[in-house]
Amino acid sequence: MKAYDETDLALSFQALGADYDVRVPILLSDGTRSLGRLEEGKMALAGGKLGAKPTSVFFPQMDLVFQQKGTNVRMQAPPSKPLMVVGLTAQDADCLAFLDRFFSTNFKDDLYRQKRMNSAVVVLSGKCGRDGEMLRLSSGNCDLELVFDGDRYLALAHSQTGKAMAEKMKGGLETDEISLGRLQRESKALPDDELKLLQRASSLLLDNKVPEDFWVDISNRCIACTACNLACPTCNCFDVFDWKCGDSCVNRYRLWDSCQLDGFMREASGHNPMGTEALRTRRRIHHKLAADVIRWGQMGCFLCGRCDEVCPTGIGIKAVSREMVEKYG
Amino acid sequence: MSITVEKQADLKDPQEALYRPLLCKMVSVKELTPTEKLFRLERLDGRPFGHRPGQFVQVSIPGIGEAPISVSSSPSRGSYLELGVRRTGVLTGALHEMIQPGDVIGFRGPFGTYFDVDAMKGRDLILISGGCGLAPMRALIQYIEDHRDQYGKVTILYGAKSPIDILYKDELAQWVTSTQLNCQYTVDDVPEGTCWDANVGLITQLIPPLDIDPARSLAVIVGPPIMYRFVLQELKKKNLPINQIIVSLERYMKCGVGKCGHCTIEHLYCCMDGPVFWLNDVINLAGAL
Amino acid sequence: MKRVLTTCTYCGVGCGFYLVSNDEGQLVGVEASREHPVAQGQLCVKGWNAFQFVQHPDRLKQPLIRRNGQLSPAFWDESMKTIAGRLKEIQRKHGNDSIAFFASAKTSNEENYLMMKLARAVFKTNNVDHCARLCHASTVVGLAQMFGSGAMTNSISCVEQADCILVIGSNTTEQHPLIGSRIVKAVRKGAKLIVADNRKIRLARLAGLHIRHRNGTDVALLNSMMNVIIREGLENKEFIADRTEKYEEFRKVVEKYPPEKGASICGVTAEEIVQAARIYAQAKNAMIVYSMGITQHTHGVDNVRSCGNLAMLTGNYGRPGVGVNPLRGQNNVQGACDMGALPNVFSGYQAVTDAAIRQKFEKAWGVEGLPDTPGLAVTTALDAAAEGKLKALYIMGENPMMSDPDQNHVRKALENLEFLAVQDIFETPTTQLAHVVLPATSWAEKDGTFTSTERRVQRIRTAIEPVGESRPDWRILCDVAMLAGYGGMKYDSPKEILDEVASVTPSYGGITFERIGQFGLQWPCPNKEHAGTPILHVGKFTRGKGVFAAVDYRPSVELPDDEYPYVLSTGRIYFHYHTGTMTRRSKLLDREERFPFVEVNENDARRLKIRDRQWVCVSTRRGEVKAQARVADVVPPGVLFMPFHFEEGAANVLTINALDPEAKIPEFKVCAAAIRSTP
Ligand SMILES: Cc1cc2nc3c(=O)[nH]c(=O)nc-3n(C[C@H](O)[C@H](O)[C@H](O)COP(=O)(O)OP(=O)(O)OC[C@H]3O[C@@H](n4cnc5c(N)ncnc54)[C@H](O)[C@@H]3O)c2cc1C
Ligand code: SF4
Ligand code: SF4
Ligand code: SF4
Ligand code: FES
Repeated sequence: MKAYDETDLALSFQALGADYDVRVPILLSDGTRSLGRLEEGKMALAGGKLGAKPTSVFFPQMDLVFQQKGTNVRMQAPPSKPLMVVGLTAQDADCLAFLDRFFSTNFKDDLYRQKRMNSAVVVLSGKCGRDGEMLRLSSGNCDLELVFDGDRYLALAHSQTGKAMAEKMKGGLETDEISLGRLQRESKALPDDELKLLQRASSLLLDNKVPEDFWVDISNRCIACTACNLACPTCNCFDVFDWKCGDSCVNRYRLWDSCQLDGFMREASGHNPMGTEALRTRRRIHHKLAADVIRWGQMGCFLCGRCDEVCPTGIGIKAVSREMVEKYG
Repeated sequence: MSITVEKQADLKDPQEALYRPLLCKMVSVKELTPTEKLFRLERLDGRPFGHRPGQFVQVSIPGIGEAPISVSSSPSRGSYLELGVRRTGVLTGALHEMIQPGDVIGFRGPFGTYFDVDAMKGRDLILISGGCGLAPMRALIQYIEDHRDQYGKVTILYGAKSPIDILYKDELAQWVTSTQLNCQYTVDDVPEGTCWDANVGLITQLIPPLDIDPARSLAVIVGPPIMYRFVLQELKKKNLPINQIIVSLERYMKCGVGKCGHCTIEHLYCCMDGPVFWLNDVINLAGAL
Repeated sequence: MKRVLTTCTYCGVGCGFYLVSNDEGQLVGVEASREHPVAQGQLCVKGWNAFQFVQHPDRLKQPLIRRNGQLSPAFWDESMKTIAGRLKEIQRKHGNDSIAFFASAKTSNEENYLMMKLARAVFKTNNVDHCARLCHASTVVGLAQMFGSGAMTNSISCVEQADCILVIGSNTTEQHPLIGSRIVKAVRKGAKLIVADNRKIRLARLAGLHIRHRNGTDVALLNSMMNVIIREGLENKEFIADRTEKYEEFRKVVEKYPPEKGASICGVTAEEIVQAARIYAQAKNAMIVYSMGITQHTHGVDNVRSCGNLAMLTGNYGRPGVGVNPLRGQNNVQGACDMGALPNVFSGYQAVTDAAIRQKFEKAWGVEGLPDTPGLAVTTALDAAAEGKLKALYIMGENPMMSDPDQNHVRKALENLEFLAVQDIFETPTTQLAHVVLPATSWAEKDGTFTSTERRVQRIRTAIEPVGESRPDWRILCDVAMLAGYGGMKYDSPKEILDEVASVTPSYGGITFERIGQFGLQWPCPNKEHAGTPILHVGKFTRGKGVFAAVDYRPSVELPDDEYPYVLSTGRIYFHYHTGTMTRRSKLLDREERFPFVEVNENDARRLKIRDRQWVCVSTRRGEVKAQARVADVVPPGVLFMPFHFEEGAANVLTINALDPEAKIPEFKVCAAAIRSTP
């Protein structure tokens, strides 16, 4: 296997740019790390998960659905080059797999899939978290994984696409697998108390052990900023709206929506099945920890940690689960 | 005995077509009440819509948006599609105001589950609808009329707010006089000065006098949210088991295909797993009824 | 994909975030700045949706000129010449003070500075003002007199350091969400929260004590609290002796307000007042947070003074977690005031009546004879227009038809003008009355600075190309000045304008584009070495000693009677912003509240047979509007609350044009109204 330093990687990504529209973590002007093209800023691989959800590459906040001129409907064209996204964490890759499944099951969401099809996903793991913190290794649900050993990135191809990519990469030193083995062991030894907490909360919800009062109390602290939804890589809700783009020309867009808003489910009659803050707060947590378990056989939260970071009042899914488990076992 | 989701024939290549409105022509517009109109649509390519009673279509008007509207006509009546639409807001308002016979509009669908007419075969049917709920129910009633010999006793109960709100007045009169059907209707209120010699009172009052054989009956309920609880109470008194009751639920819908999330009831998507549900599948879900 | 760091265009909290645009130059989203000191990767719902309205198809894309009574498309050249020509002509005919200029709290510091320069240097009038008149004029007057500075004394980060927070007349989680969220967190960490507000706002649900005093009785409430504090010896004697003056006069007035008296005026119990006084006075660090519930009264300045008194009495100044913190509403209302878009001061609150100051500006601007008497305020300018004394009005980015009290009066005033020019990004009820309408760029299409409520001067940056033919306000103003024959307003960029601001404004002396960098600088920042001032009045008040103000309670002007038995209060809601031009064009925000509404107490509603979401008629002596009833226990019985965002149900048809004598702020918070269901 090969190990790359950052310079090698930058050159490699540039080379892969022939086949892909490459997005890597870059440093924005104030130090925020975000997905961008190589020419848009200094590459910043290390530093842990990105603030914005990386799934937004395939499912952006606002996206054109189609343009209609008279009776002629033109759907959004697929990207001219497939996307390559570098910088997901192992948790992000789990989220992406969940979203893939969601958008591809039953009716297939062409808008998402035309961006996702043929794309390449590169996970960063190992000692490249904030201040060198150890990040969990992926379960292999990505094309390529770059595992940082504190010095270099070990390249692990998990798919045919990944193998093809690895072949096109530049530089790199041939190394043995000893350090990878060590990192894998370290990754396995990472604490799993958060997952246990979530599973505990999930079973409390499935067993109907959380009373309405709990949700009233939490929802009193929610300012309906919608960030928990907007930041979550597995959240998929959207609204649709039309904008005129000239005489008899209309663009239809979709736009991230949030179940924390009263209008999300309010019906034309004014009736609202989720008409209280408590019901909406319950839904945010219950949907991920219980409803998804029933529908998809797995929780819809993979502990990426974003909702707890972006919630201005400290009621992300981990915080709520903790309170729930403290109160009800 | 859950109804499976069937994808529409037209979505052979769903990669391309999920959100693309297809075109259809408004063939005729008829006023039903001061706030409701009946629209008849035909596809531009002349093909059938492939709809079944209980399903809905997403009606699309460019620049305005989309709204889910129940199919109000049975496929057994022809390849056209009829929609009974109440004027409530932007899109329904545009349908009422702007769209003339001959105009071309968009649609997606039909989507959603349908009334399981096979499961109903040989059964006594109690078809209960309130307000706008008669729109989808009409499609079912038409279907049953056209296949009358396959079903047992058929009872139709309908409740409207007041005499002027009654939908499909002509057909209702036919159903009432038909020897094949037992049809009764009622209004909540009669404004002063209105001539009215039929029932007055809530629809729930029509249920107790019915002679229901719980073993061979099947009930279908479609109506405004608050109707369900009271009607179900009455049916319970008649010992009708919940796995012999079908309900059609409405939610705020955007995509109609299980993607936008607006219509969820716990783990179910009303647009895709519904709108037609067996009662036992939803009765224990928070916020379903 | 492009990401440009900028500052939120909505409220005064001043969150920083990235505007995201795609390869086609269309804005497609917002990304948080994890490093921004205020936002810290978080935003409120308006911030997350702030990109939405920018490229809305309704944007004004070309200038309009009124021809034969109709506004019709025109060229820039012609429009600019018309404006400069008409203004000059009216100036010649009717004198300098026949023209007034409205700057805007939505536009940048640079643009506000230019607007006031245009008024003063080019047209020689002090008739320049902006909508701060309608929100925090009382603060600027009141706090400046008492302490020498009319701004938030502390920083947003201080909220979580307070042991007690008194929130009075501020629905913080809705109007300043990211300050509200800090209050929520402070409470979770153990801070004591007192909410004095008669609406049951979110914070009231978390508060240890919720006082629902009658609208407009704040002076009585605060005086009674201070009466208790003095009676129980809880005042900070040392602080009073060392750092304040006029204490005795103040004490004598407060003596007249024992809690029982306060209680009967306010409609609360004496016990609640005593409790509030004790909680506040006994806290180690107690902070007051207030907003328009304090300022928008005919006794707004007195309300502000009472807040100032309370904090002085207990020595809560000049350290983290304390202070008197007026939360400024608009993104740049602080900056527009700082820039001197006010009738009585130049930038940095330098009085026009001071000859030395005038001389300084005359020299800097290369002009002579700057006017020396304070000019007309927004409110009084409209009165003057209605009376025919004001002939021309130049409005940049304001919508007085919707934002000012008594819409019929405003319409009459604007229709009475010989010439009205309006710069805006959307068509509004105000542009509809204009003779010339100029399409301006939004905040996403230009460079400049905003000053947030915590006095933080921050950058906005060009994220996309201007929509249509729109031009940034600063360029338009420079061109008007030039066409009017003034050569001193030529700049290549807003950066140069800010440099000029720094050279004539002591509190902005050290503030430049370079120094602001990514995270801003808090004024006062007198020189290029100064790191900015997060907390004011440390060790000593800006003016030296703090002055106690002896204020008596005065009732509001129009109280309920048999004909109009309800108190109508107006304000904003979470999802909308001011006159709604932007938020009502943002899909999600608009979806949340699509209709004008009025909050009614459930008991009143039951008696009046009004159901939730039913359409009702609300009327006052000024007019009548339709709105949807929101029946709940948010407002107490006898009170109605209406937001003013909705053109089709404009609350300001109803409000009263009664002004605070000093601040000229209208009494938006109290008037008498009636309500009935619509047929
Ligand atoms: C499965 C299904 C079947 C249906 N079948 C029928 C049918 O057969 N006939 C029929 O008439 N209707 C039917 N409906 C209801 C119909 O879809 C709605 O009336 C329609 O979507 C309203 O759309 P609109 O654009 O006209 O109204 P909107 O402009 O969306 O609003 C209408 C009114 O509802 C309120 N409102 C709606 N959405 C919001 C929101 N998000 N926020 C705030 N207020 C809101 C407002 O009070 C407004 O006056 C059906 C709905 C479903 C889900
Ligand atoms: S941690 Fe929060 S943001 Fe991340 S997947 Fe779970 S719910 Fe979504
Ligand atoms: S992030 Fe927190 S405050 Fe914002 S909507 Fe979600 S739970 Fe509510
Ligand atoms: S709190 Fe204010 S500044 Fe921050 S995002 Fe919301 S509206 Fe914008
Ligand atoms: S309507 Fe979109 S998920 Fe059901």
